[in-house]
Amino acid sequence: MTISTRLAQWKEQGVISPEQHALLLGLSRGEPFSVFLELSILLYAGIVVFVAGLGWTVSTWSKQLGDVVVLTVLSAMLAACLWYCFSRAPAWSRAQVASPSLAFDYVLYLGSLTWSVELAYLENRFELLSGQWEPYLLTTAALFFFLAYRFDNRFVLSLALSALAGWFGLTISHWPSHQDAEYRLYAILYSLIVGGAGAILERRGLKPHFLGAYLNIAANVLFWAVLSGVFDRQASGLWFLVLLGACAASLAWGIKRRQFSFVAYAAVYGYVGVSSLLLRGTNSDVGVFSYFVVTGIAMVVLLVLIARRFGRES
Amino acid sequence: MRAYSESSEEALRTRDLLKDWAGEGFLTPEQYQRMNQESVCDLRVTNIILRVVLFLFSLLIVGAAVLLVGVTLTPTDRLSRFLLLVFAGLSYAAAEFAVSQARLYRYGIEEALAACSVGFLAAGVWEGDHYGSGSLVAGAVASLWIWRRFGLPYAFPAAMLFVAWLPNHWTPYPSAQHLIVAAFYAAGLAGVAAVRPRHRFTYLNDTYSFAEAFLWLGIYLAINLQLSSMSLLGGLRISAEFSKPFYWTTWVLIWCLPPAILARGLRLKDRWVIAAGAITAILTLVTNKPYLGWPRHTWDPMMLGAILVAVALVLSRWLAAGPSGIRHGFTARRLSSKDRQWMSAGAVVLGVVSPDAITLNPKPDSTDFHFGGGDSGGGGASSDF
Repeated sequence: MTISTRLAQWKEQGVISPEQHALLLGLSRGEPFSVFLELSILLYAGIVVFVAGLGWTVSTWSKQLGDVVVLTVLSAMLAACLWYCFSRAPAWSRAQVASPSLAFDYVLYLGSLTWSVELAYLENRFELLSGQWEPYLLTTAALFFFLAYRFDNRFVLSLALSALAGWFGLTISHWPSHQDAEYRLYAILYSLIVGGAGAILERRGLKPHFLGAYLNIAANVLFWAVLSGVFDRQASGLWFLVLLGACAASLAWGIKRRQFSFVAYAAVYGYVGVSSLLLRGTNSDVGVFSYFVVTGIAMVVLLVLIARRFGRES
Repeated sequence: MRAYSESSEEALRTRDLLKDWAGEGFLTPEQYQRMNQESVCDLRVTNIILRVVLFLFSLLIVGAAVLLVGVTLTPTDRLSRFLLLVFAGLSYAAAEFAVSQARLYRYGIEEALAACSVGFLAAGVWEGDHYGSGSLVAGAVASLWIWRRFGLPYAFPAAMLFVAWLPNHWTPYPSAQHLIVAAFYAAGLAGVAAVRPRHRFTYLNDTYSFAEAFLWLGIYLAINLQLSSMSLLGGLRISAEFSKPFYWTTWVLIWCLPPAILARGLRLKDRWVIAAGAITAILTLVTNKPYLGWPRHTWDPMMLGAILVAVALVLSRWLAAGPSGIRHGFTARRLSSKDRQWMSAGAVVLGVVSPDAITLNPKPDSTDFHFGGGDSGGGGASSDF
């Protein structure tokens, strides 16, 4: 039975009104046909390509163009983007706010990227902070967080989280003798701060729809860091326990909130960590392949049971 | 021929549409609940994330099982090929079993089994054929069968990939190779175009739409010598491999194809074909200079970006200015909750992949600096300008 037959039945049974029937039948046939997603992708790709070219041009022609021209153009672009966003933005709200237009989010994104290019240019040319990039990254993260929350923009939020990660990364690079261990600890600290901040902001009702972005990024950074600890032969025991704890927490959260990306994180990262520990020092090919066959089947059965119990099923 | 009944697949399509409409507020929760209950089917589906994970674990199991047999028996080459064919048969039988008995539909497990059957078949036939084309033919035919039988959309481009390698075994002339591949894809396109109208408003429309889009893309890639020869930076150097009339004919064709694809996509209101048209148009703009042997400039990406943004803005404004925001049956308004989900997921993925790119590198010694590895500090728009 096709969708049009079903819709006709539901109309006859009075489940949907004749107006709804006409609308839904049209939608099922692409009438009207929405090109919203296509236009959004075109805008996003256009801005990313444009800024890439901008950076390339600035870095190649800075001497010929001169600092004044470069900075004037970049500042004008930045000011124009910010003016556009502040002049057209709807009133701020703690809840999700729809963009006033299709282009709005991307103008803000362009402004954010232009800010980054200008900042990099300033420091590289004038050494305002003598090569100390941390203040720039922290300032950038703060600005992007502000813009993301002011204008309800997930793209800029992801830039803010990335800039914050960069700030942690640069701090780590100052301890080259213990880079791996330091990196791991800072990565865990970063993920805890990001995850905690996301949870607190959600509890306070401040753009609660941003929580997914916070938690997904935090979970991935956390798992990578813990896995690197498990791979470290000197201290893998403790990290293994941390990995088990993180997997349990991720699994519980995923099942409770029906967010199956967290179930997947627990399954994949947990499997990789446990396998690396169990197979350490194993030289038998038969043993290794047998392990993967048996444990692979066990994982599939477990995931199917979880999907059956908690997933959507037809 | 299909592993699933028509009624089951139509019911699944109905459920997807209902969920979409409820998400956009076109249905009340009560209406959605009742209509959803009346669209129940016997197929077992899962969400995309678990599907991918199950696919990976199933691949791991099958791959490890084959390697286990390999290291246990240490077979000769001939026996290895025979065993691979046996594993191909077993994998396919397991996929059929998973569908017919467990009623799995796009569940990851049966998909991995079907994919393994194609891979093992192609590998098993490989050395048995003196010219090596037997495995490619087997791979292409098996992929097409999987596409038709299980409706897995990616099996079709897999078949196209096998076909793309075939002419290498038949002729040493690059021009002929390009022509043969384009001819194969054109024949496939004619077949799909002939079958599609019957399924315009059924669950099969998406399957054919995806296949047609890939065939258009395949034809374009076969005739765009800059892309198919992978010598974007080589300029006119590759023209030496081809005769001048052939080279310049392909240049004319790469300008003619995108509007033709876009026109067909818009006429059919086909999302995938429109996307193929847009991608080929962008690729034509990107490869035009290397085709002509003109030098690239640093501002070329800026020009391209400005064109893309301008096209998007002009189109959205033009559509919005129509009655009720609709012109010729098209609208720039969002009508599907899936669009919102894709955008949200895209933003998160961007955040996950960009932290490294965002890290600012220490300043180079020379004043002739360059942006690299996220020098754009928080932008991360490009990792290496």
